[in-house]
Amino acid sequence: MSFFSEDRVSELKDLFFESAAELLQALNEQGLELERRPTDAEVVRSVRRTVHTLKGDSAACGYTALSDLAHELEDALTPELAKARGKRVAEVVLGAADVFQDMLRAYRKNSEPPSGAGLFAEIRALVSRIEAPELTVLAPAKKAINKFEWSEYEKILLQDAGRRGLKVLQLSLAVDPNCTTRAVAWQMVKNTFQDLGTVLLMLPEDAASMEKVDNLFAAIASSFDAEHVAKKCRIPMVICDVVVERLSASEAPPVAAEMEKKDEAKVVPSLPVEEASNDGEPAELGTASLSAAPESTLRVDAEKIDAVLNLVGELIIGKSMLTQSISEFDKKFGRDPLHAKFADVLGFQARVLADLQKSVMKVRMVPVEQLFRRFGRIVRDVAKACGREVRLELAGQNTDLDKSILDTLAEPIAHLVRNAISHGIESPEERAVAGKERFGTVRLNAYHQGNNVVIEVSDDGRGIDREKVIKKAIERGIIQAGEAKNLTEGEALNLIFHSGLSTAEEVTSVAGRGVGMDVVKTVLDRLKGSVAIETEVGQGSTFYLKVPLTLAIIKALMFRSAEKLYAVPLTSVVEIVRATEAEIHRVDQHEVLRLRNEVLTLVRLNRLSGQSEKKSKIFVVVVAVGDRKFGLLVDKLVGEEELVIKALDHHLVSTELVSGASILGDGTVVLILDVQAVVSKLGRARTQEIKSAGATA
Amino acid sequence: MAKDLHLVGFRIGRETFGVPISLVHEIVRVPEITAVPEAPAFVEGVINLRGKIVSIVDLRKRFGEKEITQNKKNRILVVEVESKMVGLIVDAASEVLRMSAEQVENPPNVFEDGELNYVTGVGKLKDRLIILVELTKVLQKGELKRLGELGAMA
Repeated sequence: MSFFSEDRVSELKDLFFESAAELLQALNEQGLELERRPTDAEVVRSVRRTVHTLKGDSAACGYTALSDLAHELEDALTPELAKARGKRVAEVVLGAADVFQDMLRAYRKNSEPPSGAGLFAEIRALVSRIEAPELTVLAPAKKAINKFEWSEYEKILLQDAGRRGLKVLQLSLAVDPNCTTRAVAWQMVKNTFQDLGTVLLMLPEDAASMEKVDNLFAAIASSFDAEHVAKKCRIPMVICDVVVERLSASEAPPVAAEMEKKDEAKVVPSLPVEEASNDGEPAELGTASLSAAPESTLRVDAEKIDAVLNLVGELIIGKSMLTQSISEFDKKFGRDPLHAKFADVLGFQARVLADLQKSVMKVRMVPVEQLFRRFGRIVRDVAKACGREVRLELAGQNTDLDKSILDTLAEPIAHLVRNAISHGIESPEERAVAGKERFGTVRLNAYHQGNNVVIEVSDDGRGIDREKVIKKAIERGIIQAGEAKNLTEGEALNLIFHSGLSTAEEVTSVAGRGVGMDVVKTVLDRLKGSVAIETEVGQGSTFYLKVPLTLAIIKALMFRSAEKLYAVPLTSVVEIVRATEAEIHRVDQHEVLRLRNEVLTLVRLNRLSGQSEKKSKIFVVVVAVGDRKFGLLVDKLVGEEELVIKALDHHLVSTELVSGASILGDGTVVLILDVQAVVSKLGRARTQEIKSAGATA
Repeated sequence: MAKDLHLVGFRIGRETFGVPISLVHEIVRVPEITAVPEAPAFVEGVINLRGKIVSIVDLRKRFGEKEITQNKKNRILVVEVESKMVGLIVDAASEVLRMSAEQVENPPNVFEDGELNYVTGVGKLKDRLIILVELTKVLQKGELKRLGELGAMA
């Protein structure tokens, strides 16, 4: 590795971590598949290919602990083993995926990886139990199974053999350590092979190099079955261990990563041999031609896309600058024929800009499938831990969502899924009694709704008991007993988002500590999204997570309060009404306004800048926070505009009241308020102020 | 030569301070500043610096200067601290100073602990004293927070 520069190495490692994450995901999926169909040789091979690639990649980066483990696992995985051990193999594979994940995490942090000894032992146990009865001599230090690098020529031989109806057998022979005349052994083996069929490949190639190696590898095309071949090859005093594996002609074995053997292992020199890539890419006969096809997918650093998006943001600011200048021009020279020309050009530019913005946004968008795929594994594990039988249904996987939002959503959705299984779905017995299917169903669905994406997490379990939630909430002191009666259906259900409230009877490792739902709410708030619940006792519940398509650009309503300019996301604005100071009443330490049949709690925004001057005529911006409405009192409305959100330096100006800032066409900085925080903070301050006022009075 | 220090000199009150020129992005006049609610007292707010939002700290308040006058000579030093851009309001900034390492003395012991540990040295240039400050320390989060709390208590 020393011939690489430092930069090169870290770049290589970055690439490795990226691809490793994908490999792990694939491994998880394949593990689940294996669990469903443990006897399917094709699935076993796909698992092995994945492990093999991981092994090669990690070895290339010098992560030996990981590559050794992967190697061990790869060696162990054979269709025969899967057949014999059934689901146990899938379990080891999934366990291995977890261990690999932990190791990768450690490597990423440059720390010492956790020991893989447990996994090692598990793999050994798995293999030994199947091998013990079959083999007379156990050679633990020798790995008998191995793979070849197949050149194009050999692949053709393979295909040809397949066409002639011959079985292609891959053999691995361990030479008896007591055998002193190895060159003779080589010849004996070769003769045996020739008796059995056509030798496609044999390593080492000649008797002379036999002195250096302990293992013989070969592939033959034969009409005999594997057992017969194995028996024939086990020559007493010469060969102590034989492993025969059958290959179907339609697929080539994975490319070997046995680099140390490479030197001796080059074969068929008479033909132009394409150097098999040694980075461990699995090569298949059927897909070999595919790899030559041009790559249509690019892997781009997210930062680069963000930079482009930033520039688009600047352009949008530029556009509003232009619009403003032209409206000034109009005022001066309204009748000038240029006016119409400007308007045309401006309209054109706005259209292109909108398209540009959309296109760049799309680049950042990824299908939710990326997230949904992970849940196969989570559902399986949780269901197993809770003794449930659960089926996962996915829908709307192609719905696109901003990558960063999607990543942030992973945790809340995982919480909801875990809850759905451990709290929602009943045990198979209970379900049978209730007349439901034995299998519970957890469903993930995603779809667009206006400028939002809704992700549904639903289950067909027992649903959430409203009364039980209220009882718990009173017990924990979250609400007063008296308040309970006044709660709406939605408010009562929303109580489950309070930290410390769990309706589960007991705390398990999976759920029940009442922390999870709190996280769901917090994350959704941060994303400027919302969460709603629909539930029916006995029928199941559905959580609706609503998040904006993107965080970078929002439509906002701008207004002034105490001469200062602020904005709130338009999505949270319900309506705007006018009111007079006389219409404002005081009820229970809050200022309220009656709007049609509703009573709104009011928040005076001029308190943000420490003023409390009252005007006779005021605007009330009605905003929705969760399923409650509040009125923000503002002095003057400015208008609606698309704002490019820029983060504030949290290091210096950390305040939860402001979620970001934006720059208007004329260069003015406008602060975007976090409606939720403003309402809860200023609403609370209001109460305190009155209390203290009461105390002094 | 290599040891020569290039500093941007700025004035707060009667003193001249210096920061390495490599940290200073630019010096601008004080534009309209948008105040941020709930920010610490010496954080004036944010400005639009050619499309970037930059937080503004009034260094005069930070250094405990009593008399703060707003006039045309006031400048904002846009500096990069921990790869973030921050604007510092100073009374005046105009000169670039060059001095050799020999002209800089370690700060007197008085400065070493407590409040003033952001002073890294004192430079003598002819008959003037230039106080060298380390901006990372001036703008350290903990430090600012503590000051903010002090301000809130007062």
